[in-house]
Amino acid sequence: MRKTSMLTGFILLMCLSCPALLLASAGVATSLQQDSLDTDTSAVKPIALHGRDSVFTDLNSRSIKLVPDDMARFPAVSLQQYVKDQAPGLFVQENSGEPGTLQAMYLRGIPMPILSHRDSYQAQPLIVLDGIPLIGEHPFAFDIQQYQFDRIGTATNLLSNINMNNIESVQVLKDIASTAIYGPLAANGVIAITTKQPGSARKISFNSYVGMAQRPTVTTINGDYENAFRRQFYDRYTAIGRYSPDDSYPLYLSDSLNASYYGPSNWSDSYYQHGLLYSADADIAGGGDRANFRFAVGHLRNQGVADETGLKRYSALFNINMKPVKWLLFSAMINGNRVQRNRNRSLRDRFATMSYIPDLASPLAPNNAIYSQYINQFDNSFDDNATNIVEGHAKLVFDFDRLKITSRLAVDYNEGARDLFYPRTLMEENSFASNYYGYNQRLIYDNHVSYDARLDDKHDIFLQAGSILQWDAFKYSHAYAYKGINDFIKINLLESDPNNGNYLNPTAFPKELVYKFLDYTNQNLVSFYGRGTYRFDDRYTVSLLLRSDGSSNAQPTSRWLFTPTLSVGWNIKNDLLDDASAFSTLDFRASAGRLGRLNVFDNFSQGPTYSTMVGYYGNVVTPGYNGFGVLTRPYDFGWTGYGIPWAYTDQLNIGLDMGLADERIRINLDWYTKYDRNQLLGIPSYAEFGYRQSYETGMEVNNTGVELAVSIDAVRKGNGRFAWTPSLNLSYNANKLTALPGGLDEIIINDRLFRVGERIDRFWVWQNEGIYLTDADVPVQNGSARQFNGIRLRAGDPRWVDVNGDGAINNDDRVLTGNIFPKIVGGFMNQFTYGNWSLDAQLYFNIGRDILNAEMANRFDFINREGITEINSVKEITFWEKRGDYSQYPLYNPWSNVIPYRKEQDLFLENGSFVKLRTLSLGYDLTELLGKRTKLDRMFVYGTGHNLFTLTPYTGRDPELIDFLGYDTGYGLPIPRTYTLGVRVNF
Amino acid sequence: MNTTINSRIISFQRRLLIPFMAVVLLTGGCQKMLDIDSKRVVGEKNMWNSLEDTRAALMGTYGLVRAAMADHNAHWLYGDVRAGEFTSPTRQDLRAIMTQDLKASYPSLEAITNWRRWYAVINSANIFLERAPEVRQKDLRYSENNYVVDVAQARFLRAFAYFYMVRIWGDVPLVISSYDGNFENKPRENQAKVLAWAEQEMLAAAANLPYRYSAGDEQQQGDYYNEFTSRWDGTLARKLSAYAVLAHLAAWQGNYPDAATYSKFVTDNYARATNDYISTGHLTDANGFFYDKRTNHLFGFAFVWGHVDGSFTGHLEELTLAEPVVNKRIPDMYLTKDSIISIFNEAGDERFSLDTLGTPVSERYFTNYNGRYPIFSKIKCIMGGVADPTFRFFSSAIVFTRLEDVTLLRAEALAALGERQGAIEMLDAIRTRRGLDPYNEDVNGDLLASIFRERQRELMGEGHRWYDLVRFNRIRPSHPAVVALLANEGQTWPVAQALLAQNTLLTQNEYWK
Repeated sequence: MRKTSMLTGFILLMCLSCPALLLASAGVATSLQQDSLDTDTSAVKPIALHGRDSVFTDLNSRSIKLVPDDMARFPAVSLQQYVKDQAPGLFVQENSGEPGTLQAMYLRGIPMPILSHRDSYQAQPLIVLDGIPLIGEHPFAFDIQQYQFDRIGTATNLLSNINMNNIESVQVLKDIASTAIYGPLAANGVIAITTKQPGSARKISFNSYVGMAQRPTVTTINGDYENAFRRQFYDRYTAIGRYSPDDSYPLYLSDSLNASYYGPSNWSDSYYQHGLLYSADADIAGGGDRANFRFAVGHLRNQGVADETGLKRYSALFNINMKPVKWLLFSAMINGNRVQRNRNRSLRDRFATMSYIPDLASPLAPNNAIYSQYINQFDNSFDDNATNIVEGHAKLVFDFDRLKITSRLAVDYNEGARDLFYPRTLMEENSFASNYYGYNQRLIYDNHVSYDARLDDKHDIFLQAGSILQWDAFKYSHAYAYKGINDFIKINLLESDPNNGNYLNPTAFPKELVYKFLDYTNQNLVSFYGRGTYRFDDRYTVSLLLRSDGSSNAQPTSRWLFTPTLSVGWNIKNDLLDDASAFSTLDFRASAGRLGRLNVFDNFSQGPTYSTMVGYYGNVVTPGYNGFGVLTRPYDFGWTGYGIPWAYTDQLNIGLDMGLADERIRINLDWYTKYDRNQLLGIPSYAEFGYRQSYETGMEVNNTGVELAVSIDAVRKGNGRFAWTPSLNLSYNANKLTALPGGLDEIIINDRLFRVGERIDRFWVWQNEGIYLTDADVPVQNGSARQFNGIRLRAGDPRWVDVNGDGAINNDDRVLTGNIFPKIVGGFMNQFTYGNWSLDAQLYFNIGRDILNAEMANRFDFINREGITEINSVKEITFWEKRGDYSQYPLYNPWSNVIPYRKEQDLFLENGSFVKLRTLSLGYDLTELLGKRTKLDRMFVYGTGHNLFTLTPYTGRDPELIDFLGYDTGYGLPIPRTYTLGVRVNF
Repeated sequence: MNTTINSRIISFQRRLLIPFMAVVLLTGGCQKMLDIDSKRVVGEKNMWNSLEDTRAALMGTYGLVRAAMADHNAHWLYGDVRAGEFTSPTRQDLRAIMTQDLKASYPSLEAITNWRRWYAVINSANIFLERAPEVRQKDLRYSENNYVVDVAQARFLRAFAYFYMVRIWGDVPLVISSYDGNFENKPRENQAKVLAWAEQEMLAAAANLPYRYSAGDEQQQGDYYNEFTSRWDGTLARKLSAYAVLAHLAAWQGNYPDAATYSKFVTDNYARATNDYISTGHLTDANGFFYDKRTNHLFGFAFVWGHVDGSFTGHLEELTLAEPVVNKRIPDMYLTKDSIISIFNEAGDERFSLDTLGTPVSERYFTNYNGRYPIFSKIKCIMGGVADPTFRFFSSAIVFTRLEDVTLLRAEALAALGERQGAIEMLDAIRTRRGLDPYNEDVNGDLLASIFRERQRELMGEGHRWYDLVRFNRIRPSHPAVVALLANEGQTWPVAQALLAQNTLLTQNEYWK
């Protein structure tokens, strides 16, 4: 009793120091989620994953086993690759097979329209490693980029830091009952990862695989083929081989005797190759009851199949637990990774990095002799991308039986450096050097106190209160320079003598061609929460979590947001069906609550601002005027006013967990609906005040869906040696725009239409019905021929549907159709075991999604892309690859001003559903065979194949290589088919 | 029993002390933790406090004007490309402009039919005019004179933006206050009214603008923002800039008496501003007139190489240069041989003329004359004004007007008013400097037509031609295509669809409906 009063006093004092806590502590504390943030085990032993009040813990992964040891067999680099087909509700966009590139994840749909990388960054779920919420890159760097294909810097996937061999569990947390404890960072859901903890016995394990990524087979084409393709249009629409006297036919296609273009097209021998896959990891754990540790090291190498891409990772992880006195536990973890990446050498990315586009009149030649000459120029260049990712925490747990106090300091720090040099020979006598260094850092100081008040056998109360202080800092410095004095000095040297008048001026590159950038932003977050859980007789559980979060990126007038979450659980089996033998488990659970959503940019916290943006298209970074720094309103960024409230997400989740026939059949079913409200949206407006857009609050998006996970022990091992466990995970998601700022019904942003009541990932296209063969075919209405955006349609133009029947084709005739994000995503897994043999087959599928074949549109729209110095006119070496089926498109007049092969039409829209055999793995457990002769605990060998086949109606390449706009741009490197052999040994 | 409990509590308190103290100390600062200023943008409370703020805001307004003119090379697409005299071998968007197909949906056309960038200039100037007085209060270093000159520039830039827009779109919304945070959509205002307002603004500004900065001008004393005259020459709006633009404004309205008056102010006072006529060589040198900032940029926007201002785009060179001047196979646009000969039809022209054998005398205006694509290379400021073709990086200034332009404009005004002698005098001031014989009606034909021809030759590639054609055909309908457009107000540009969509009070120009 005295203890409880102490607790109350303690909380009161905490409240005095910051009034907001009053809100939090006013209610009883909780969520039943026993996450790693508060896994306060009293003994030094592996952290209990299933806490005492874990009614809601990993319910979602009960039947779908996210088994790290199994996942570790996948020759993956990133967390995204590991979890892609594993959990219902999760969709991973792996739009390039280049190792270590960014892959977006979306949990339970998209909370906002994804129009740019900025949006995509803001829609990512939170990754929590041992209770440390990981920090990602900040999208502010895009501000200085004219071309935003990749963020400047290493653009390395920061989730390459998860070595699956060190992982004890991976939980995909989606319902608010389990995510609310993580606060506003968790608005898009959470993936919680826990590392393996040491025990009191000594353990050593060694895991390794080696394998290869198979070179893809492609059909190559040469100038002759391309010429024939284009001739069709010239034959049809021109009399003399020229559409107008000013036309110029590209030189590289004009000369059929030119062997570089008309000769053999064997560039693919230099471009595609087999890739080596390799990984070796070892760890040792030991210690005693009072102190123990685990130490793991690993190395991974993953080569891509195209363009000599690849990645190397060196990792180390150290865990320690100590218990100097009975009531004090100290534990610490540090996980360090170094990731080095070889990036692709596409022209587009190179030119985008340089912000300079050279003359594009002569594309790369398809002839390997010539192409390899070009490739050899890279020998004199470098493109070093290194990322160091370190996270760690130190934790003190004061354990007084029922009362526990935890104090923890955690850091996540990652830094990336890209050093780049292109010699003169690579580009028209212009060398280029660029250096980037940036870091993202998160520091967390979190304290909480919990009290376990088990009243009697029936009544059970658990209380918790805590505060979290979090400091985030993002910074980069970036410089690039053109035209160095020679190809030997490859870095941008500066004068180092402070007494020299030229101090700190560049010496090897002309100072007028040196550009320097620096950006720095902070975001601080203060949270207080309290939660209480009450359980009655293992039948009813109710839990309430109240939290108050203050963000430095929220406006001063609304710094704080108070959010509650209520969850209830009902064990129907225990309550009503005790005798019903059909059900071995029957749990019902429901949760409803609210969580804040953070502003990513601190601009929004300031109200109207002034910045240094006086650039323009092609030159977004203009340093000033007349050598003076300038300050103007951020007209290109948009208007930000006062009175911006917190955005938040309201979520409701109802779930049912069933175990039938003595747990032989396990089913989890979840239905959810969530509303992401009060979101900021840049509304194109106030052009007469100079602003490109105005950030207005009030966008609301609804995501509703159903998730199903079924796992069946179809054949149990029992007496026979054979077992078969099929399991299926399936998620359906539908999104809908439910409100726009200012009560708008619809809005056009970036050539996409958003209409209240419609999905937010629709394509907005004209419907194509063929071709007008003659001018007379064009319908005449009210005396004038049908027009497209004010231009008269003629023979050779597309027959676009006049939806509103007004005799003119314009934006009013575009329809919202298809969807970029799949309606159904899932995985179907079959595990067979026979004796010591095991066979796993995993299918991955997306159903109900569409793809806009932009690459095909570009190929047909060659007239608008030939001879123009523009980033979209760049022809990669893969221009000489035959992709897709040309014959299904009509032959329009490509010279027409209506741009007949424009992308925004359903001519290029295709069904992008697919089924992939993502994993086939055969393993054999040697432990028995080796028997007692060795000290082996377990030895397991396996061979796996990945991405073995894809079934899809899509006519382009792999239907996964699609960007967030739903476009197949042709830029994704192929996701390789891989074969590996591996071994896992435990001593 | 009791003591045991007590001692347990004491030890308990001790154990609690450490985490407890830590919590109290650290959470106390939480409010401070949240009240942090952005490090990447300047919030309202940190702006308009000092002299540096007004300087940054004023320079920003200039920067925005430059951005508006340079974006997608708008200044030349409006002024030179639309005249239709150039030819584009590859760019469909340029072809659409040349054939007056201005509604074609190319990204560049969508950008340049959107007036937003000009309104950014206007908004920036409006905010400056509203807020600069605060600095006057807060910072003693910000003198009255400095303030007056700053205000004059802001007013002039704002009026200039309106004039520029009216030439393109006709009626435009007239917004003369920032309406910060209380924006309201405005309908388009009658262009005559807008121009009348702009004229008054420019006159008021002209009254307060100096002839030069930091040069002992009685209207701008001392070193302007503590910088020497070399820093400012050619970069800011001056008294003569205002009168030169006023002359253009009056001429555009067909108000030739005023155009004559305003231009006379310039031709009478250019020496005071240390302006002078330039030689043909200087005009066309890679490091000549268009390179850097020059006093003779009567009103221009420099991309100063030394200030790391050069860029790949926003320069005429991007459109016109190609092999052998720079590494580019085909120019975006070029003038055909026939056009060149018909425009430069007088012998001895230092800009371009053929000798008796039919070969060009110089490569000043055109390079590779006998090739497939004659390259219009009048402006060719590559990097630091060099002849290196390898890097298409340019540093030429956007010059809105210069003394030669105003002189010819005056000739035009006088000719239109019937003052032939004065007009010929002005015309010859240019002709003789370009190596041509004085004007002779028997040889050169009609005076007004000769003046416009001279303008075409002298100002080619400086964003004037289209407006010249409009003015010429208003006085003397002679180009059927232009006359047809003028009849239906088709000389305007369409208003971007994006603008019409966001402001329902706006209407499309009649011709482009």
